[in-house]
Amino acid sequence: MDAFLQQCVNALQWGSFYALIALGYTLVYGVLRLINFAHGDIFMVGAYIAFFLSTAFLDPNGMFGYSRELTLVLTLILTMILTSCCGVTLERIAYRPLMRKGVHRLYVVITALMCGLVLENGNLALLGASRRTLPELLEKKVYVFGGITVTNLKLFVIITAFLVFLFLQFVVTKTRVGMAMRAVSYNKFALPLMGIPMSSVIVFTFILGSGIAGLGGLLFAMSYPVLEPYMGAMTGWKAFIAAVVGGIGDVRGAFLGGFLLAFVEVMVTAFLPSTFRDLFAFTILLLILWKRPTGIFGLPLTTKI
Amino acid sequence: MLQVNNLKAAYGKIEALHGVSFSVNQGEIVTLIGSNGAGKSTTLKALMRLQPPESPTVTGGNIFFHGSSMLKTEPHNVVGKLRMTLVPEGRQVFGNLSVVENLTLAAWTNKGDAKKDLDYVFGLFPRLADRMKQRGDTLSGGEQQMLAVGRAIMSKCTLLLLDEPSMGLSPLLMYEMFRTLKELNKQGLTIILVEQNARMALRLAHRGYVLDTGEIVAQGTGEDLLESPDIKTAYLGGH
Repeated sequence: MDAFLQQCVNALQWGSFYALIALGYTLVYGVLRLINFAHGDIFMVGAYIAFFLSTAFLDPNGMFGYSRELTLVLTLILTMILTSCCGVTLERIAYRPLMRKGVHRLYVVITALMCGLVLENGNLALLGASRRTLPELLEKKVYVFGGITVTNLKLFVIITAFLVFLFLQFVVTKTRVGMAMRAVSYNKFALPLMGIPMSSVIVFTFILGSGIAGLGGLLFAMSYPVLEPYMGAMTGWKAFIAAVVGGIGDVRGAFLGGFLLAFVEVMVTAFLPSTFRDLFAFTILLLILWKRPTGIFGLPLTTKI
Repeated sequence: MLQVNNLKAAYGKIEALHGVSFSVNQGEIVTLIGSNGAGKSTTLKALMRLQPPESPTVTGGNIFFHGSSMLKTEPHNVVGKLRMTLVPEGRQVFGNLSVVENLTLAAWTNKGDAKKDLDYVFGLFPRLADRMKQRGDTLSGGEQQMLAVGRAIMSKCTLLLLDEPSMGLSPLLMYEMFRTLKELNKQGLTIILVEQNARMALRLAHRGYVLDTGEIVAQGTGEDLLESPDIKTAYLGGH
């Protein structure tokens, strides 16, 4: 039983990463009906930004020489801001010109895939293939509840993911800009008639999505402090699948999907040989999609009146 | 208030308006009538500066709003800065938002007391108040039309463009809608009305223009057009 609960805690942490990335996929899809395949690599960019910032801030011989706590706070804020800039830049230079010309969405999706590859390989060319390690930003503390051990970092990751989810759910359902985001997904034509600039809603969406991916990158790098240019590729793919299984376009769906995938993965690895992990995980997701093609929170397809 | 000079507009290479000129004075109701494909909706979309592919590109002529050209104004600024808006054909409500959310969103550029305007809309259309929390796509056609007009009121614009507000309404609802428009006009709202139901529109309007295949073929006061024998045979069903 303790082993099971311990695995649940691990799944919660692992799921937090998937959920944070999946939220970005689902936000952009909700607004633009665009699958932003570069999103996993935005997560990687976030991890690298966190690495450079924290290394610079911590270096006792450098110009900052800050304490760990201050470094963590500054890195967290700046990573989110800078990663947002990266996401918004992609939208500006790659997606928007295409969408302005009114091309089919497929071309924009392919462009997103290419942008992801450019980010990966740009990183490889610029920084080389050597793996990098994030300095320790949080002094490790271990809490023991019964038979379960939880580190403060794990708690930090899980709580952050839940707070982000609550924040997003609030923004999307309760604020006017959230209403505008939902409105675009249903009817693009009428939005300017409300006096709302479409481009601002899109930019806001990319800021939210990429900022959260940056946060995910930082947390991931703190938990598994090995950074390499392709770290966003597989994790991004899996988060995307998680978002689809949850019901892409829905914030709750992405969040739940992320944890579901992590739960299945962790449980398979715990009780079966680890080579079975992805095979089992994706078979189960396939079965879920087979039953509910639009995902757990996805509505059945309806046509407009 | 609004002056349209020799406006030409095209969808891709196909020209839909071949030089349309008309004017609208403050406080008026002006109607554009004409058969299917005459260019009525195209004119309204061009006025709102909406973008292709749904809307035409202006290829010639000019549109003046209070004396200055608005050809370079983006659609959201037409609403936000020039204070004119469109109730589009087919209602175009946000079906995934509730009635009250649709109305709140429409008040985006409304700098005044949006709460008061919301009460006003609910007073005008009590049915919408009953269905406040319901999703837009669960409303009937007539209710969606009310919601579309309600959104336009929430924007607090001074010039309102309406594209076929009577479409899909029962006769009773249609009269109700026209009465509401007249009431809004009395309170100072300027209206450009595009209608299939030409007789109703001409009765309501101060002035009318008849469009045919992208050109203005007749104009006059509502009464004159209603009485004109040519117009009667061509657009009002002959009697």
